[in-house]
Amino acid sequence: MRSVLRRIWVVFAKESIDNLRDRRSVSMAMIYPFVGPVLMGALIAFVGDTITELPNSSFTLPIQGAERAPALVAYLEENNVAVVVAPEDPRDAVRIGRIDTALVIPDDYAENFGAERQATVNLVVDGSRLSAVVAMSRALYALSEYSARVSAGRLTARGLDLSIAHPVEIKQINVALGRNLTGFFLNMVPPFLIFTIFIGGVYLTIDTTSGERERGSLEPLLANPVARWELMLGKALAAFAFTMMAVIAQLIAFKLVFEVITGGDLGLDVDIGFGLFVVMFLISLPLMAFAVAVQLIIATLTHSFKETQTYLGLLPLVPSLPGLVLVFVSIAAHPWMMAIPTFGQTLLIGQLVRGEPLGALSVAIACVTTGLAAGALLLLAAKLYERDALLFGE
Amino acid sequence: MIEVEGLEKSFKTVQALRGVSFAASDGEITGLIGPNGAGKTTTLRILYTVLRPDRGSARIDGFDSRREPREVQRRIGVLADSRGLYPRLTAREHVRYFGRLHGLAGASLEARIDELVRMLDMNDIADRRTKGFSKGQTMKVALARALVHNPHNVLLDEPTNGLDVGAARAVRDLIRRIRDEGRCVLFSSHIMSEVEELCDKLVVVGHGVVLANGTVAELRARTGKHDLEEAFLRATETGPETGAP
Repeated sequence: MRSVLRRIWVVFAKESIDNLRDRRSVSMAMIYPFVGPVLMGALIAFVGDTITELPNSSFTLPIQGAERAPALVAYLEENNVAVVVAPEDPRDAVRIGRIDTALVIPDDYAENFGAERQATVNLVVDGSRLSAVVAMSRALYALSEYSARVSAGRLTARGLDLSIAHPVEIKQINVALGRNLTGFFLNMVPPFLIFTIFIGGVYLTIDTTSGERERGSLEPLLANPVARWELMLGKALAAFAFTMMAVIAQLIAFKLVFEVITGGDLGLDVDIGFGLFVVMFLISLPLMAFAVAVQLIIATLTHSFKETQTYLGLLPLVPSLPGLVLVFVSIAAHPWMMAIPTFGQTLLIGQLVRGEPLGALSVAIACVTTGLAAGALLLLAAKLYERDALLFGE
Repeated sequence: MIEVEGLEKSFKTVQALRGVSFAASDGEITGLIGPNGAGKTTTLRILYTVLRPDRGSARIDGFDSRREPREVQRRIGVLADSRGLYPRLTAREHVRYFGRLHGLAGASLEARIDELVRMLDMNDIADRRTKGFSKGQTMKVALARALVHNPHNVLLDEPTNGLDVGAARAVRDLIRRIRDEGRCVLFSSHIMSEVEELCDKLVVVGHGVVLANGTVAELRARTGKHDLEEAFLRATETGPETGAP
């Protein structure tokens, strides 16, 4: 038993040292993981600001034909809306993104308004841009408030009750645990992390499997007094170590980015302390083993280095996809979902970053099933290593 | 001591070996010769355990390469058909890796590595990463790692292939030295002059069977040709009578 462990260790040590000297392996494990967090930090810094502006902060609304509606303009200015003159062609200006939105007051507005008929104003928007959507809702809110106030005045003048014109009053209750939209971006943590788990050890796996065969070093290696499954396990452990490095690098990057961007306050009821990241790491461990096993099997079955590179380069997208969807769509997590490797972890890490409590049963199901699946796949990889075809890549 | 009996091996549609039998004794250099595609490499691969035969047996010092591969692997040093190196490891690290896989460690392993570096005249390259090594330098590293555990049986697949005159001679000197230490050397080649100069025994293979077997002198006598190349051609031509198509 001791000599078995020793041989596995010898293979592990060799592959680790060899790949620490490889720029590509190291960048997969040490540089790639930073891309996600940095990207997310930039998003929070730039887009997050636009979205999280508080409703009573000032907001600029370009208006065309402001002179036709002095009362409306006065009301807007009273309510923290900076009114500016809209460009010549407001539609064009909105379309090209020079301004977010514009209010166009038509020629007949004053006449209709004065006669207490329904008067129309046009709000020019581009619904496909996020920042424009925010501006649009601010403008709509201000305009409907104005409309309500005018109708209230007119009804009162006629001695009627307000509820006739407004049978339903709408009050928003925001149930997000956080105070702002940064939480939306936090939902991107799970897909980024899953991606890293599946990319961290990829180059090492390719190099030690397809690469070993292609450079002709596999055959002499197989003639040594080492069982093939021992070789396989040594290589798998090295890939696992590199995956672990990548995950740790990314978690550190996430923590740093959160702290720098938000000054340690995400505006969430989530404690982004050390403990959160440790729990994320522990939950990811069985999935790392699973990812390495999948990579090993693919690398063993493919014919060439290039082919392996293609498959394994695309592989991380698959398990990350559900997580990306969950950024926009929320689902109720059921315990059975935890049994699906990668998906269970996506859900659990999502719950963690949103500050929701983790169910012990869910964690147990996710860890045990993924761990068992990883074990089964490693057994399969060991079987594949026993074939003559290992030598020829068939 | 190497014993091969009735070895058969097929790849998909090709029958590479159709019953190969021969023996190679300790203290002798046995040459496995034959044209390309004769089955030399497949025979060696079965002997050094990376392929399993369909039928027949290959034994090293009495251990079966299929049933007791670990015992066999401990007793052989292999220069395989492919002899690729790890470009990011130094020559010394290559030898150390294989030494460790053989269970060697510490000062005795380092001493053995130093000995091989001296023996193979590798001083200038020992601590360089192998990326960009010439064929001769690559061969030295491959030989050093094959011999790190002082194997009693040495299997070499075309050891002088692609080497310049000087490097080829160094390899031949090494092979003799191993033989003189009483060990068993089996090597394959298709260069007649080399085989003639080096081998104590010859095994001529063609079309997956052994066509002739014996000393150089015996082979000459049997074919009635003094020139070994002639004898070799003669032997491979008579292939059909011995069972090959």
